[in-house]
Amino acid sequence: MTDNPHSDLHRRGFLRGAALGVGAVGAVAGGATVLAGSAATAATPSATSPAAPARRKAGFHGVHQAGIVEDVQLSTAFLSLDVTAADRRELTELLHTVTERARFLTSGGTPAALGITDSPSDSGTLGPQVPGDGLTVTAGVGASLFDGRFGLADRKPLRLTRMPAFDDDDLDEAWCHGDLSLQLSAPHADTVLHALRDIARNTRGGMQVRWRMDGFTSPPRPSGTPRNHLGFKDGTANPEVADPAVADHLVWVGAGAEPAWTAGGSYQVVRLIRMLVEFWDRVSITEQERMLGRTRDTGAPLDGSHEFDTPKFSQDPAGDVIPLDSHIRLANPRTAKTENSRLLRRGYNYDRGMDSNGNLDMGLVFVCYQQDLERQFAAVQQRLAGEPMVDYISPFGGGYFYALPGVRDRTDWLGRALLA
Amino acid sequence: MSAEPDGIEPPHPPSSSRTHLVRRWQAAAAVVVVAAAVTATVLAAGSGGGSPRTDAKATAPADGLRHTAVEVSTGTCGRGWSRPQAGTQVFDLHNTSGTASEVDLTDPRTGRIFGEVEGLAPGTTRPMTVDLGSGSYAFKCLQDDTDAVTGPTVVVAGRQPQGPAAAPVNQHDLIPPTLAYQKWVGQRIGELAAGTGTLKADIDRGDLAAARRDWLPAHLVYERMGAAYDTFGDADAAINGTVARTPGAVDDPDFAGFHRIEYGLWHGESAASLRAPAAALDSAVRTLRDGWSEARMDPAAMGLRAHEIIENAEQFELTARTDYGSGTNLATARANVDGTRAILGQLRSLLVPRDAGLAKLDAALDRTQAALDAQQHGGTWTPVDRLTHAQRQQINADFGDLLEQLAPVAAIFEVRRTA
Repeated sequence: MTDNPHSDLHRRGFLRGAALGVGAVGAVAGGATVLAGSAATAATPSATSPAAPARRKAGFHGVHQAGIVEDVQLSTAFLSLDVTAADRRELTELLHTVTERARFLTSGGTPAALGITDSPSDSGTLGPQVPGDGLTVTAGVGASLFDGRFGLADRKPLRLTRMPAFDDDDLDEAWCHGDLSLQLSAPHADTVLHALRDIARNTRGGMQVRWRMDGFTSPPRPSGTPRNHLGFKDGTANPEVADPAVADHLVWVGAGAEPAWTAGGSYQVVRLIRMLVEFWDRVSITEQERMLGRTRDTGAPLDGSHEFDTPKFSQDPAGDVIPLDSHIRLANPRTAKTENSRLLRRGYNYDRGMDSNGNLDMGLVFVCYQQDLERQFAAVQQRLAGEPMVDYISPFGGGYFYALPGVRDRTDWLGRALLA
Repeated sequence: MSAEPDGIEPPHPPSSSRTHLVRRWQAAAAVVVVAAAVTATVLAAGSGGGSPRTDAKATAPADGLRHTAVEVSTGTCGRGWSRPQAGTQVFDLHNTSGTASEVDLTDPRTGRIFGEVEGLAPGTTRPMTVDLGSGSYAFKCLQDDTDAVTGPTVVVAGRQPQGPAAAPVNQHDLIPPTLAYQKWVGQRIGELAAGTGTLKADIDRGDLAAARRDWLPAHLVYERMGAAYDTFGDADAAINGTVARTPGAVDDPDFAGFHRIEYGLWHGESAASLRAPAAALDSAVRTLRDGWSEARMDPAAMGLRAHEIIENAEQFELTARTDYGSGTNLATARANVDGTRAILGQLRSLLVPRDAGLAKLDAALDRTQAALDAQQHGGTWTPVDRLTHAQRQQINADFGDLLEQLAPVAAIFEVRRTA
């Protein structure tokens, strides 16, 4: 049998009893040795660098969770979950199980052979061997997890609240909040769905999906940052988090007033933003570009020629070239004062059929990470309130979560510092 | 109603499992003529023993696992496994005989099975992936119309814990619990006949309030007998049939039984219009009761039904697919839990030594039952669409977990040849 440091827990437990697979030789060794911290990712090229689209690969173990500073992948599923575990012991077991499944699924290997004692341990949708395939599993906790159910009230991250409704929001409760977040991302949709099925199967008693939005990343068209459904490149001005100093400054929660267990985590905001693409397509290109502040074809700021040119707002104080209420100018004014409100965007496009009025139901799964919700996301959101683009988008769901610190090694588990 | 040209199909029992079941039943039937197993000599690990040496070189396959080529035939069953080793590994089973064969990897002392491949065709090779710890193992080759042959015993040395295994369940093991369950069902059908008689009397005298009151207890008696519906045959559709969701489907003259009457009672139909359906229901139940002593339940279906009753409850009750106005799907689901307990009760002594997760299964049943019971208030059940979000999530979680714990029951009770 595969070694399982938590077998006692499972014997008592209420979940399926995760049948651990056998890690592929290389994958297990890699998983054990790669302790990816900020330093480990520092050497890899930047996501936002125009010349280097190379993907950063993350091992499962590390100071931080994978799937945050790494580049967006081609396919994702973002889940919000309600915890149905009855108490703290069951919540602990749940997070052990999620960790064990995530470790196996991201490392790859042979699914457990159960003989005649059960149906097969794996759905088989990726073939007899689970390939790993660059899958990342990123878990977060919502403010509601810190209510009375699990005795965690005094451990809530300082800034973690229920996501408020902002001025231009039209929130649908069924698509908001959650006790946990789980994002599964991979280069292929089958890998994402295989992981979703596996994790759900092993955790049915302990958590249930509250809402789920699948997303994808478009290929560069023709180059540079991928485009969203509005036809514009989205994410051009992301901070250079490949630089650990930048990541420590903007993304990771470290020392300070936060509870000690939060070290190495990050505030995760997800916003489900419907894009009214038919309406948008009926807007003149000049107006579209003035709303964004960028040229649609190249992604260049309206005062530049290339996508990664830096807009020179100070030379255009009246907004003659880049309007003062354009999206890029409000979101990131590029002043010394607003420098520390920058955040790391990791958004995906979504597409989910049709609306009742016959329009395409598509939009953006906006995901961002930051060290401080108020200083970053909320401040940016306040600056964007009432921007001209709000007529063409409708944020209807999402939530605030705290992405847990990383799982450091084979004995560690998601939420250990929080629950232990 | 499954015969209707418009494709109307009753939601249960699922036809796929019926087909599945037939296959298993035939496989089991071939086993009834039993003779003593042929036991082979013990082959100590790596000794080569008396059997001709077949080189079982482990190739370097893409899966990174150790592979061993093993022969399957009555004369050479298990030949090729000469270097036993613990861990997850693959045996590439090659049938060198002219007859299809089943192959089990067993512990010859206990009979516990670690892996099986069914229907290995002549000349073909199929993989068997198993997780082996320290212990004694032997391949067992079972061909139709021939006694089982057990190959040489191979010993994996060391102190590695063993992987999952269970003793097989054969036809004989299942006959006593099946007979006992059949007897229990007979008693329930008597109870059911009393219930449908009361319902018919209420409707005959025009007391629809009483009929609405008496409908549920009678229906729930039926919903506790979930493992017997296959044996009921066409009577199941007459007693508990449903119709398609197409507009007007409820007016289908073939729509009969509890749900037909439910539709009328909760949609303002007159007593007169319900007299014929009530009489037909009562008559179908009495016919079933009078013929039950002749019925023969299929032992091979026991484990499958223990699992599938709750699959059907999740699919048709938790979705309210089978609601025709009474809003009592959760009561039905609760009766289905009783029904699952009834069949598990009969299988329990066979299950205890075979299912390592039995304590979890018991806990999951208790939890599911409690979650459902919480939705009954003075005999009134919360309709599925009135559950709060938290209640709904809890019930979904409990059913989901229960189903995962029931899946091993169906796997373990797949009828297997043992000799």
